[in-house]
Amino acid sequence: MSDTFPLVIDGQTVQARQGETVLQAADRAGIQIPTFCNDPRLTPSGACRMCLVEVQGQRRLQPSCAWKAEPGQVVTTASERIEKHRAVLLSMYLADHSQDEAGQAADIATGNKLRAYTVDRDDLLPLAPVHSPRVGRADDNPYIAFDPDRCILCARCTRYCDEVEGVSAIQLVERGGHTTIGTAGMVGLLATSCELCGGCIATCPTGALFEKKADPAPDPDETIVRSTCNFCGVGCQVDLRVRDGRIAAVEAPPPGTTVNDGNLCVKGRFAYDFVHHDERLRSPLIRQADGSFRQATWPEALERVASGLKKIRDRDGGDALGFISSSRCTGEENYLMQKLARAAFGTNNCHQCAAT
Amino acid sequence: MTNSIPEIRDADFLFVIGSNTTEAHPIIAMEMKRAVYRGATLVVADPRAIWLTEVADLHLQLHPGTDVWLLNAMAHVIIEEDLVDHAFIEAHVEGFDAVAAAVADYTPEQAEQVTGIPADHIRRVARQYATTERAGIYYTLGITEHTHGTDNVYALANLVLMTGHLGKPSAGMNPLRGQNNVQGANDAGASPVFYPGYQRVTDDDARQRFEAAWGVPLSPFPGTTLPAMMEGVKHGTVKGLYVMGEDILLSEPNCRDLEEAMNRLEFMVVQDIFFNETCRFADVVLPAACFAEKDGVFTNSDRRVQRVRKAVEPPGDARADWEILCDVARGVGYPMPHYAHPREVYAEMAALCDKFAGIRHERIDQDPRGLQWPCPTADHPGTPTLHVDGPMRGKALMTPVTYRPSAELPDVEYPLILSTGRTLYHYNCATQTRRERHAPLTQPENFLQIHPWDARRLGVAHGDRIEVRSRRGAVRARAQVTKDVRKGCVWMPLHFAEARANLLTNEAGDAVTGTAEYKVCAVAVARVDQDGDEAVAAR
Repeated sequence: MSDTFPLVIDGQTVQARQGETVLQAADRAGIQIPTFCNDPRLTPSGACRMCLVEVQGQRRLQPSCAWKAEPGQVVTTASERIEKHRAVLLSMYLADHSQDEAGQAADIATGNKLRAYTVDRDDLLPLAPVHSPRVGRADDNPYIAFDPDRCILCARCTRYCDEVEGVSAIQLVERGGHTTIGTAGMVGLLATSCELCGGCIATCPTGALFEKKADPAPDPDETIVRSTCNFCGVGCQVDLRVRDGRIAAVEAPPPGTTVNDGNLCVKGRFAYDFVHHDERLRSPLIRQADGSFRQATWPEALERVASGLKKIRDRDGGDALGFISSSRCTGEENYLMQKLARAAFGTNNCHQCAAT
Repeated sequence: MTNSIPEIRDADFLFVIGSNTTEAHPIIAMEMKRAVYRGATLVVADPRAIWLTEVADLHLQLHPGTDVWLLNAMAHVIIEEDLVDHAFIEAHVEGFDAVAAAVADYTPEQAEQVTGIPADHIRRVARQYATTERAGIYYTLGITEHTHGTDNVYALANLVLMTGHLGKPSAGMNPLRGQNNVQGANDAGASPVFYPGYQRVTDDDARQRFEAAWGVPLSPFPGTTLPAMMEGVKHGTVKGLYVMGEDILLSEPNCRDLEEAMNRLEFMVVQDIFFNETCRFADVVLPAACFAEKDGVFTNSDRRVQRVRKAVEPPGDARADWEILCDVARGVGYPMPHYAHPREVYAEMAALCDKFAGIRHERIDQDPRGLQWPCPTADHPGTPTLHVDGPMRGKALMTPVTYRPSAELPDVEYPLILSTGRTLYHYNCATQTRRERHAPLTQPENFLQIHPWDARRLGVAHGDRIEVRSRRGAVRARAQVTKDVRKGCVWMPLHFAEARANLLTNEAGDAVTGTAEYKVCAVAVARVDQDGDEAVAAR
């Protein structure tokens, strides 16, 4: 059996892999199907109905996120019928969503797909706002907040918590119009199995889950710098969101693109205050005769370092010195530290801090 | 790691020993949980009930420091029931017979006496491990931070080799690196015995290679390890220290002795991002840039070289460590090149190391997944799984090990065994994580986990202030009474500068690595009264 097979999407012949859904096959072929509830890390749930497509031979529209691609299948992802469906669906979502003065879905820094899908449409129905009885819960956890008025109940967050983070701390609670994202007994997250990874925030398509620490308003001057987390040895890739020369938030790159597959932990996502902390060392310090430190210039400090180390080397040899390198620093810096010990001081007394 | 992090989710059997993965490596724990969700069997061997045990099929709650008994007994079962991979051993392994002889006496029944794990469980785990194709071993400092840490690692390697779980996807031997760039620091030669790329300083060819590249004669004598260096400080043979990015006074065991020795140092430079405990003894303190303020690479647990990129400016006059090191070298008369960017430093190193020869910043910048070494040429795709074509050294060597007790066992005066470790919310000395503005909400102060049975005997209630004493020092903490720890065992995190766990720990080290026995030392616990001054005599 071949690994791939052809099907036709929007008149284009597309190669699908065994087991792939229509949405996945289309995505790889560059055909974007709008969706709220799909996350490549999760089992498809077909909950949001945004990705419905026409499948030849099927009477009803089918959710492309859950519909398995089959050889020879003919799929249409954009048609008058589909657009009519989406207009009605989006109109209902919008009526039950917090809106700005212009009647648009809230604009938030981390993105609101509902706004993206509705802002340029002129075929939405003028539905009266729905004030659903959905509630949030009092929660003193320091990082993760929930705005029930921005929630579309796609359950990406609860499925992420079940299937990826594996702690099942949050769940859909209540019934009907009262349905909301909660916890057992509606206790705060600190009282649950929650590891505060914040993955629910990252997967939320409408910004209903958001960071308490970061400013939710968008900033057009924000820049994003891809880097590697500086905590444990997993090597998660992070996108540092920089505003006014400061780290404003830390996010994971999209799922499927890096070693951490879109995930981060509580430290990687939230523990960045140290970078801009008041107690950071800002200038070299030199010990004075009375034992106290004074601030010094770099030339002064470097001269003191050179003379202090040279004196011992010249009198007792390089082996009377020890060079402690750091598994917290970069590879290049470790290279330079051992080169300093070996080439400049003639000793192999160089070891990195994690040796013990 | 012989294998890669993305392979974990496809494993069918995971043996996690001496790793509190959820708290120390949360993203790897997520991958493990995804494997479990898929139907994989997870076995956790740990003296404590940890978060991962909640989703484990079996928790082997062994007595601290008895790992060799458990692992040798598993080997015993695998050999006794002939579950070994004969073809793999024939082709790729030497030393099997010696190991078979060594484990002959390690019956599961006797192991039960020593480890406290039911013999049936040992048999079951051994069988499952040996007969599952995609079976991976994952471990970290619970294995290595013992006076017999090297023995523990050999015992694990023996299991991997006798079952042929090497060079296959989702299997292998996977130490999870504790810090962002432990792997990279070793790779770059921050070691007393290795130049960059694991080339021995005692190897004439290697030395000549580096002498030619650096333009100076180099010492042919191995240097001292960090623990030996600390001993040298105590004995006065090490007179000067250059410390970059470590708070040795918080991190090293038995830190009170070391603190006294620090005063005898003639000269010390500390280069860090905060004024840490060690700075108090420094002659010069140099302000460094943190990871977000400089360029370079980190190498993670699965040998993946990834970029660190400058996002913001360092505060005040702080500078990147690499720039400072170059200036210091030139200040003492060594003509360090004027590198314009760390990519030039990396290129210099890679050109001297076959393992990384094909890696450059420019290549990593093209691939968000980084590059995993070995990567010998510019067109080599990197190596996710090691030893695929048989062990890299030719034949893998099995090393028989026998059980040796931990250096300090409990007695009448110090009746409890203390282990130390990391928690989810903090990272090592916590100079970074405790400066997170919400840290006090999640974990405000040091605590000691103690079994209800011991707590009751000592008159300690949950939330009481207690004092923990060892032969080396004493610290105060809050009692957390929990059945997560075994009777007779207590556990404390290492994150709290004002109540340093390392005042208690034993600096006795592994004979090979010198790594200290952070996981086992003998302590006594007593309640202290509300104003915290007077210890209440414990019966």
